[in-house]
Order: sequence, then structure tokens, then C-alpha cells
Amino acid sequence: MRFPMVLRLLRQLFKKPHTNKFPVKYTPSSTTRFFADVHDGKKTICSPVETPQGFRGKIQYEKDKCIGCQFCLKVCPSEAIEFKAEEKKIKIYLARCTFCSQCNDVCPVNCLSMSNEFLLADTDKYSKDLIVE
Amino acid sequence: MKTAEKTTYQLPIGPIHPALKEPVMFEFEVDGERIVNVNVRLGHVHRGVEWTGTQRNPIQILYLAERICGICSYCHPMAFSLAVERVAGIEVPERADYLRVIHGELERICSHILWAGVAAHEIGFDSVLFLTWQMREKALDLTEYLTGNRITKGITMIGGVRRDITPDMHPKIQETLQYYKEIFKKLQHVFLDDKTFQLRCKDCGVLSKEDAIKLCAVGPTARASGVKKDVRLDQGYFAYSDLDFDYITPDIYTGEVHGDVYDRIVVRLLEIQQSIGLIEQCLNQMPAGPIVSEPKPLKLLAKLKNVSGEGIGRMEAPRGEVFHYVKLSAQDAPYAWKVRAPTYNNILPWVPMLTNQQIADIPIVAASTDPCMSCTNRVTIVKNQDTSFLDKEELHRMSIQKTRRLQS
Amino acid sequence: MIKKERLTAEEIIQSIKDMFTTNIQDARIEKRTMGKKKTEFYHLWIRLDKTIFKEAVRHLQSLDPALHFAVASGYDLDDTIELVYSFSLYHGVRHQEISVNLTVALPKSDPTIETITDLIPGSLISEQEKQEMLGITVKNIPKNTRVFIADDFPKGVYPWRRDETGPKKLIRNLHKVKS
Repeated sequence: MRFPMVLRLLRQLFKKPHTNKFPVKYTPSSTTRFFADVHDGKKTICSPVETPQGFRGKIQYEKDKCIGCQFCLKVCPSEAIEFKAEEKKIKIYLARCTFCSQCNDVCPVNCLSMSNEFLLADTDKYSKDLIVE
Repeated sequence: MKTAEKTTYQLPIGPIHPALKEPVMFEFEVDGERIVNVNVRLGHVHRGVEWTGTQRNPIQILYLAERICGICSYCHPMAFSLAVERVAGIEVPERADYLRVIHGELERICSHILWAGVAAHEIGFDSVLFLTWQMREKALDLTEYLTGNRITKGITMIGGVRRDITPDMHPKIQETLQYYKEIFKKLQHVFLDDKTFQLRCKDCGVLSKEDAIKLCAVGPTARASGVKKDVRLDQGYFAYSDLDFDYITPDIYTGEVHGDVYDRIVVRLLEIQQSIGLIEQCLNQMPAGPIVSEPKPLKLLAKLKNVSGEGIGRMEAPRGEVFHYVKLSAQDAPYAWKVRAPTYNNILPWVPMLTNQQIADIPIVAASTDPCMSCTNRVTIVKNQDTSFLDKEELHRMSIQKTRRLQS
Repeated sequence: MIKKERLTAEEIIQSIKDMFTTNIQDARIEKRTMGKKKTEFYHLWIRLDKTIFKEAVRHLQSLDPALHFAVASGYDLDDTIELVYSFSLYHGVRHQEISVNLTVALPKSDPTIETITDLIPGSLISEQEKQEMLGITVKNIPKNTRVFIADDFPKGVYPWRRDETGPKKLIRNLHKVKS
């Protein structure tokens, strides 16, 4: 047929849209009021699509296992890791982290791992949420 | 009142511009609606990547190279890794070679489907844009499952790959491949049988075979003009030398070679089909073994610190030949690193392609070479000291109006 | 276009050595294998004088009229600038392509080289890039403008150089933490 898309578009009218409506279908007129409603339980947020296993999200650091070898500093592509010399532990700045997980691979005691958290937006690059130590 | 002579208008388009996905500066000479001459200027997203590379060690450069481009983000670290492996004499295990092919072909599928949507958008066929980008989601989900992220895969390591594909991952891969085999027929039906595309794209933006060879065009742009240039077949790398496939030129589907936009659509769609077949062959033939030649990254860095020499790495990205030159000189960081993305060779062919075309064809012709750059805003028309602005919406609307005219 | 018969890697090197004798300083073949079937491929590395550079490119083009030019890389050694032009011959038939890299050393006292855009028009952008990045002059280049660097970047500063004309003063470290 000359225009196969037309039939397809008509069929689409009766199908459910593919988009996952995260966090909510339409933008609320007041975001603060919306979050207050969610907190009270009056409205719900549609959850994001599940991340698979092995997803490279926010880095997790087990401080007790760390031996202060500084191997992770050598391989970090964006120099997002800082060594605290007095305690011999590290500090990771998520604002510079590229989520490559190369530090996980190189750590000899496996104290670094990637979680599946990806909702990390913040207004301040150096806020507490964006520094892992 | 007769005009003494006809002059041409100068139409500067850019640097951030309407029809392409990235900043490029064009200076068109226009006579009415017809383009007479084109002058191209680049450099607007120059980030000094090669200089930055000389300040970092090879493992850090892998992640820097990944961020040179979002869509061909797999090819740059892989080509760099090939170059370094050739300098240092690192033998890559066979299983790693096959895994690399699988990831490369998966990226090719994602990139070509994205391009198909963009091409449809430039013509004005937005419903096809949404349809193809929805189809692409399944490939991105598979990439996320195999590598941990949808776009910046981070799967390259010098001497192999970082993650294995274990047998329990095979069912999901098979399911995705089956899905793509079924929708490929739908894609083919929409793109190649729909009259809209044929009316709009045939005999538009023609690049002759001689021009393609002289201007060193690469990738589907060259293959659509009949030049058989494909690094996977010409020289080979990874495990492609063991696999069974051939050059894709438009005469496989249509029987003739014109070198126009329609031929480029044909080549890219057939390549999607070829990629599905290649992934299946790899899964069937994959040998057992290690996935990387040196599992400890710091030992690898120590080894590379003692190596000196130069090497080249060439790879077939979805857009053409990616070329990396690396010179190591027994230090932490390489002495020299040169990156040549495929689009830089495909820019000079724009000149013969756009000459004698109409302004409304600029978006689709430029998009048909699949330039790897990013999107734009306005066009200034200078007419006898009178300037008026054509922004992206206006140029896009002109392109859509032409489609409607042809359809009626 | 009927292709003339293809030479092997050794024959290519021999033909270049025969033509240019003393002006060739070094020529080596790197042969490698890939995959399970151990298919071979060749990379040729030839170092020559800049005086016979253009003739060498012309000779390569006579061996394969569809010569493919990839890119010209360059780097700064102490008193010379070296350019590496990468070509490839014999594309079109599976596993027959041979990569050829020609290294040319230019003294900093006279950093000029002949253009090859009349033989291969596709090399224009690469030659323009070398001019602006390394400060060399390509003689008879058809378009003498900057291609990757903005026009208001200072003249006389060459980003890839490691001597006093390098970009050291223009580097800013954006990530120095202020707090």
C-alpha cells in the first residue's frame, strides 16, 4: 500500500502509550504542594523502570575495609577521588564521578561497589549527598 | 524594470544550526531556492580531547575517549585499545574478540535505528520518529543489562573486555534479537515502501562514486555510492575475520546504485539486518576462555609504562572508519594521540551533495550522512542589506512543506 | 575501474625502496593475525625525507588509484616536528587492505611541507588542522583558514607543541575546589 504508516497510526489510537509516566503524568501546578500531598499519602509517584542487576549507579564505600592503598586514585579518569592522608581513607566527589566503576575493579579489598541509585540531582555540587566518604 | 544581472545570495547557516545535530558553520551561495556553492567551517565543539589525553594514563584515556561522542561511544575506546595493544604487543584472548563484536554490533543497531528516526523527523514524518525510537528502547535495555548503562558502556579494557556474557544472559539476548527480526520487516515496510520517503529522497543529494573515492568518504555514505569500503571486511579486526558477511551496497535491495539519500537509507536498514545476523553467529561460535589478557589494571599500567612505539587502530563505527594513532614513549601518559572520527571525512562530500539542491533539502541531505555532531538554532538570510532570521522551526517547516507538496 | 594487480606488503616496500633509495630512512612491516582462523593483516611504517614525500604519495596512488587517506597525525619532538600520514591501499576485497604510514620529519627551522590535496582532495581538513595545531606551513594549500580553532585564538600559540609556543599559559584548572 502507498502509505503504510496511516494504518499503524490508527491502530496506535487504541493502544496504551509506551512511555512510563515517571514521576507523574502531568506537571503539578505547585511542586511543593505536590510533595506535601505525597508525604501525607494523598498522591503517589509512579516509580521509575527497574534497573537491571549490574547497573552502575551511586558508588558505595565500605570505610572499614579500606586500607588506604590509593590504587583507585590512579585509575579514576576524572580525579574524583581525594585521599585523606591523616586517616588513610578516601573521599569521592560525585559531582565529578563518571560512574565508570573502574575503581571497583582495581580495589584489592573490594570495598567499593555500585548501587542502583540514580536519582542524584542536587543544587549544590559539594552538598553532603554528593560526597561519599 | 529589468535587472542588469542576476546575483546569488549568501546564506550563512551556523555555527549552531537547524538541520544537523551538531554545530557546523555553512556558508551557502543561493540562487532563488537552488544552492550554487557551499563552504564548510568546523571547530565549534573542539574540546581539546587529544591534548587532555596526553595528561592521563591509558586506562583513564579509555573513559575520556568514550565521551568524545555519545552515539559512537563504543568505537573510540575500542579503536584506542586496538592501537595500544598493537604497540605493546598484547594478545587479546579469543573470547574477548567475540564479545567485542557483539557489543559493537549492538551499538550499530542502536545507532542506525536512531538515525532512521532522525531522518524521518527531518522530512517531517514525526510519527516514524516516535515509532523507531520506541523500537530502539529494547536494544538500549539489552545494553543496560549487559554493560550497566545505556549509552556510555564502559566495557572496554586494554587487552579484552570488562564484563562477560554468561549463558544465563543468552535468553534475554535471543529475545531481543527475535524482536528485532520481527520489527525489521515493519521498518523496511515503512521506510522503503512508503511513497513519502521515495518521493522525497530519490535523486536528492547525490554523491557520485568518483567523488566518494576522491574525497575519501567512509561508512554508509561511501557504500551507498557504490564504493566497497568497510574496515570489518577490508582489513578486519576482533573476530570479524571468522564471521560470514559481505559489503552492503544498495544494489542488493534495489538492483541499482544512485548514491542518493534513498540509497543511504537502504544501506543503513540492511546493515541493521546484517548486525542481527552477526550477533547470532557470535553467540553460536563463542569460544571459552578468559575475557581479558591482564586482569589486574595496575599491572597493565606498569607494563604500558615500559613500552615505547607507535600504533594505529581502525574500526568501523556506525558512521564509518574511526582511526586512532597512539605514540607511547615509556611514560605514564602517551606522547601523542590522534583521533579521527568518521564524520570529518564525510564533511567534504557535503559540497558536491548539496550543490544544485533546494534549501528545503538541506536538512535531509545533511542528516543522511549521519553527522556525529549536535543540534542548532538559526539561519540568517542576507538579501540586499536586509537581514531576516529563519530559525530552526522555520527551516524545518520548509522541509515539511516540501513533503506535503510532493504528496499531493 | 579495472584494478591493476595487487602487490604484497613486501613488494610495496621494495618498490618504494627501489624508487627512492637513500631518501628512505626506515621501513618496516608489522604482520599480525586475528581471530580463530589467524587471518593476517599488514601495517607498513615508512620514514622518509620530506623532499620525496609527495612523489611517494603519487607512487602509492599509482599502485591503487582509489587510495584512501585516513588522517595526518603529528607530534613535537625537541627540534623537529614529525608528521605521520596514514593511508590504506586496496580496499574493496576482503582481507586485502594494507595500511601504510609515512613518517616525515620537519625541522623547526623550516617547518614546511608540500600539499597533497591535488592528488587526494579529501586531505584538505587534515592539512589545515596540522597548520593550526603544530604551526607548520603547507605549501600551496587551497584553503588557508583555521578549521578547528576559533579565529580569535591567539596567533603563534600552537596547542600540540611542547616548547614555548605551546598552550601552557592558556590552561585553566576548572575543578580547583573553592571551599
